[in-house]
Amino acid sequence: MEQEKFDIWMMEYLSDGLEEEARKEFEAFLSGTPEYQEKFEKLNGTWHDLEKIVIPKPSEKMDDLFFDMLHGEIAKSKATKVSSRSWLAFVGEIFWKPQMAYGILLLVMGLSLGYILKTDAINTPVETTVFSNPDTENVREQLVLTLLEQPSANKRLQGISEANKIQKVDEKVISALLQTLNNDTNVNVRLSAIESLTNYLDNPIVREGLVQSIVKQDSPIVQVTLANLMVALQEKKSIEPFKTLMRTKDLEISVKQKLETTIKSII
Amino acid sequence: MHQLTDNALMLNVKSGDLDKLGLLYERHKKRLFGFFYNMNGNASVSEDLVQNVFVRMLKYKHTFTGEGSFTAWMFRTARNVNYDHYKKYKKEAYQAELSSVAYKLDEDSGLDTKMDKNEEVAQLGRALRQLPPEKREVLILSKYKGIKFSEIGEILGCSEGAAKVKAHRALNDLRNIFLQLETK
Repeated sequence: MEQEKFDIWMMEYLSDGLEEEARKEFEAFLSGTPEYQEKFEKLNGTWHDLEKIVIPKPSEKMDDLFFDMLHGEIAKSKATKVSSRSWLAFVGEIFWKPQMAYGILLLVMGLSLGYILKTDAINTPVETTVFSNPDTENVREQLVLTLLEQPSANKRLQGISEANKIQKVDEKVISALLQTLNNDTNVNVRLSAIESLTNYLDNPIVREGLVQSIVKQDSPIVQVTLANLMVALQEKKSIEPFKTLMRTKDLEISVKQKLETTIKSII
Repeated sequence: MHQLTDNALMLNVKSGDLDKLGLLYERHKKRLFGFFYNMNGNASVSEDLVQNVFVRMLKYKHTFTGEGSFTAWMFRTARNVNYDHYKKYKKEAYQAELSSVAYKLDEDSGLDTKMDKNEEVAQLGRALRQLPPEKREVLILSKYKGIKFSEIGEILGCSEGAAKVKAHRALNDLRNIFLQLETK
């Protein structure tokens, strides 16, 4: 038998790690092999003598020290729990006072209101703000006047477009628009001027200006547009200017017929 | 019954029921004291070291998973405590406190036999303290009833078979030292 295997087997036997059957088997092995029996006997004595070394009893002081330590730890643990609980209670107490609750409610309402108002302000179109600002209106009027004097037809069209954005136009702008209608070389610009002036038909100056403009127009499309406008307005003052226009030699026949119809419609 | 096992008690301690450590202390204080006493031969130091083991068990209770043996976990802690103490007080450690060695006497023996046996056991005590610490601890652990070699393997960080071989070699060395002391 291998020495190490026997050593392990012997230690199992000595430490009572073998069942009854196995113990008998080990004892039988020993009685059959004197060589191993001798090895066993030597160590068996030492093993059992070890049990005879008496260990002194620990003193009561050891128990006292241990339980003092344990009670200290338990108290510390409880104190930590109480401390964290009391902190929560303190916070809860503050937040659940009626005054504090009202305060928080008012704060939330104020913040909500502020947020809503702010949102509305953001959603409001920029135009509103611009129109409500007199300074901006003045700047825009100046811009219109400047643009209408530009040599570029596109710039003058842009000027008329800017004029349409003005809520309350003053005489300067109306005068500039009427001047554009009477003198501008570009037909599209003049048609845009008519369209823009229709925004202010309540203004007698505008109506008068449109009537006086009839004789100054040489473009058939502008003449027809003004004729349609006068029919719509039923402006009797326009009959004389249209009759004057009909007497011009260069007037197109179709326009002449249109003007005759217009005069009949107004009368 | 499950609630009274060492593992269950230690898990209770882990979850905050520190009172249960008292029960574990009562169960294991003698074995732990014996382990330290056999390792250093000083009763007073051994008492302090038992205390240190339980302090560490509280400190590192979160490391106890309950999967292994509580005894193995406890003795691993005890070994570390002993090692740290040995490192700190190198000169004092392992000096046998021979005067405190007690002897268990056989009631049936005659006076001469008693004297001889007395001397023999005292000699064995001296031999034990001359054994290297790592051999001494495996021998002490294997002598305790209720600690299996599988647990000793767990404590020492080796297999069950290796623990048995170590215990056998330690016993053999102890006998040799004992015989050497006898011849002096």
